[in-house]
Amino acid sequence: MSLSFTLAPCSRLGPRTGTLTLRSVSINTPGLMVTTSRGVVPHLSRDQHKRTAALRLVHVPFETFLENTPPTPTLQPGLHPLHTFLGFDPNVHLVAMTLRDPADGKEMPSNGHDYISASTARGVRKVTPNQWREYVRACAPDVVVALPDVPWSLPPFSQKRTTKSIERTAAWLAHLLAPSPPLNILVHMAGGTSEAARRSFSESLTETLHGKEAEAVSPHRCIDDGAAGYIFDLLPLRREMDAEAREQDPVHRANETQALLAVSLEHLSPTKLRVVNSVASPHEILRLIRSVGVDVFDAKWAQDAAHVGVALDFVFPIRDKELRRDLGHNLYRLQYANDFAAFSAAACFCGACAPVAPPSAISHSALDAHVSALALPPAYTRAYVHHLLHTHEMSAHALLVLHNLAVLDAFFAGVRDVLLRGEDLGAHADAFSAQYDENLTIVHEARAMWKEVDIARGKGRMARERAADHSELP
Amino acid sequence: MAHFELLAKCHTTRARVSRLTLARKFSWEITFHVHGPTILPTFMPVATQAAIKGLTPQQVESLGVTLILNNTYHLNLRPGVKVLAEAGGAHKFQGWNKNMLTDSGGFQLVSLSKFTKITEEGALFESPFTGEPTMLTPEESISIQHAIGGDIIMQLDDVVPSLTPDHARVEEAMERSVRWLDRCIAFHNNSGKQTTQNLFAIVQGGLDLELRHRCVMQMVERKNKVAGFAIGGLSGGEEKDVFWRIVKQCAEKLPEDRPRYCMGIGFAEDLLVCVALGIDMADCVFPTRTARFGVALTPRGPLNLRLAKYAKDLAPIDDNCSCPTCTEKTSRAFLNHTITRETAAAHAVTIHNITFQAQVMGGARDAILKGTFPDYLRSFFANYFGEFGYPEWCVNALRSVGVDLLEGSDIKVNKGSGAKWE
Repeated sequence: MSLSFTLAPCSRLGPRTGTLTLRSVSINTPGLMVTTSRGVVPHLSRDQHKRTAALRLVHVPFETFLENTPPTPTLQPGLHPLHTFLGFDPNVHLVAMTLRDPADGKEMPSNGHDYISASTARGVRKVTPNQWREYVRACAPDVVVALPDVPWSLPPFSQKRTTKSIERTAAWLAHLLAPSPPLNILVHMAGGTSEAARRSFSESLTETLHGKEAEAVSPHRCIDDGAAGYIFDLLPLRREMDAEAREQDPVHRANETQALLAVSLEHLSPTKLRVVNSVASPHEILRLIRSVGVDVFDAKWAQDAAHVGVALDFVFPIRDKELRRDLGHNLYRLQYANDFAAFSAAACFCGACAPVAPPSAISHSALDAHVSALALPPAYTRAYVHHLLHTHEMSAHALLVLHNLAVLDAFFAGVRDVLLRGEDLGAHADAFSAQYDENLTIVHEARAMWKEVDIARGKGRMARERAADHSELP
Repeated sequence: MAHFELLAKCHTTRARVSRLTLARKFSWEITFHVHGPTILPTFMPVATQAAIKGLTPQQVESLGVTLILNNTYHLNLRPGVKVLAEAGGAHKFQGWNKNMLTDSGGFQLVSLSKFTKITEEGALFESPFTGEPTMLTPEESISIQHAIGGDIIMQLDDVVPSLTPDHARVEEAMERSVRWLDRCIAFHNNSGKQTTQNLFAIVQGGLDLELRHRCVMQMVERKNKVAGFAIGGLSGGEEKDVFWRIVKQCAEKLPEDRPRYCMGIGFAEDLLVCVALGIDMADCVFPTRTARFGVALTPRGPLNLRLAKYAKDLAPIDDNCSCPTCTEKTSRAFLNHTITRETAAAHAVTIHNITFQAQVMGGARDAILKGTFPDYLRSFFANYFGEFGYPEWCVNALRSVGVDLLEGSDIKVNKGSGAKWE
């Protein structure tokens, strides 16, 4: 089925609100996309999916499934094989399938003229555009990201490499357009940090094709006609910028990133979906909404914060001006040991802050009778999660993922409200930046503490202790 | 004190069904709090550090679990009694509003601490945090358990590993456990907590039937001061044929009007044999721990989901299982792809395994009520072990209570523990 994306009137690169619709699923933008690892939302069991309102659009990197031949999801029968295999509900969730994990920035063997190198737990696998088309056909995701040729060798890249990258990305996209019924395709905006290359790539998408090339993409006039939207991966851009030893100043960096994205969009259809991967903070999200009109952002940074023990605590627009604060709480900190408050100051309706007692329970014998609680269960506390984190209990992360996704989802709802009310997003965004620290120092601090506890109490602890005991012997 | 009602007895074995109603906490501020009844026999999943591995209390409750176990030793270290007291007890701290049992902390002192020394006063151990010598007395154990606020609390007992060869030490530990029971009772009854928290005694005596007998007799004399009895000091690697004989003897001598709790057992065959011998409660980390290693428990035996043969198996763990993992059709292939790599896979199998344990025990309750428990045993064992063969000790144990697994069956019999594994 074809994805529909409707936009409220807006300028080419200005902030905008829209609605993404497929089947009975309707998603308001700007909004978030939940990321997965090996096909699961990290720390979230399948029965929690329906209790996670923020879970609507899901991004599934496919490469780990290449560990089996053929990849197991392609064997799943039914109308929605990928949904079924991964436990997503076609009436609630839209699933976007991509080959590589956009958050994986490690060095990889180079891509070839007709294949991409993908990373699996059993080593590197080559995937050709033909195979990708087969996998996509068999899995029937709602949205597919065309294979991009992103160089994962060490930057900076030669002009020759960049040229190859944009040519292959366009050719592989054209390859995915050919079959019918048509797919909902997101195109990776190639060209790296070169404005000229990015412009040239966009132009190649809109060029009217002739002869054999035209036949290959028929009924589309040009490649762009067959694309449902554009996707920008920030990680390879940052990698290139680091290598080119460009300006490290964050403001300068941000401006440069926005300029690169804007160049790509200059000549393309303004009404198509714009997706960004590997965004780092709500501040960056606001900048990209304001100056590039991005519609969808991955939630990886918020999910990662949950993974290292940070409960997000911010709202948009800000309520009252307060002292400058962090975006959340590093619950490893000692100060939370007896802090019996809910995770965030603002009201939150996630499964951790507003748990719902199960209305029924599995009955195991004729005498079992479920007694429902009379009162609503209270919110989980910072003190409880502090305890779970220090004892290396997995429940901590399950609760934090529920919460962080809800906080980010509420943030986007706040952004949409501001836009729908016709208020000045820029003014609100500036106030937000003045209120909250963008550096996310609490996340870095929490990550260090998470590592400490993981080494002391996590997998392999016994072996490490034995080794330590052994070395103590005279 | 706890309300214990016997509801049905098996006509052949010593199995029984009962209802255990625990704490009723009334506060005069309109709300009142009932943790609700638990129907026995039941299996208690273990929430060592105030959480069932990876799950929320709401998830655990939805699985039909009404009684869980928290470990005193761990909770005393973290978060500590001060935080628990501030939180208003472990129920509130962890958001669990059903029943909870806490152990005494004594077992972990022996199993986890390298430097524990037992004296008449208590157990002297090295604090894992400060390295300082710390004393856990029976009074201290009860006091910690009061702060945790479990509905059932356990006496501090002198635990010796079940394979200890030193008979004199086993005897000393047994006698001391009786003396410590008296100290626990005295402290508990002076605390004012006996209306909401229920103290259980723990029978010790190693693998010696004579010592076990003497211990049971002395503890039964104190019956009116305790809410139930546990059989401790087993599941320490002893021969299964010895294990069941101890359980059988203890269960026979324990009073009918008190719940009987066999500590530290969790394999399906162990549970059902113990139920047949008259046991009402059991606990073990096995179902939740094995889940994290990728082993799913089913009526046809355990499945090791890490094996390559499950990589393309699109069936759920068990088609007939009512747990969320199976009803949502989570496939073996999906679990094979994610287990030991993603915590969510451990959660999925944990959910399943806890439900499986509850199903085994719930099925036993229904069968006892209907008078078909011997048939339930025969069909469960036939399904579970099938071609693999029955453990000989199970055959012996069930024969001793009038059920012959081999009657009309050509399933072979295996020596040793006979546990089925994949």
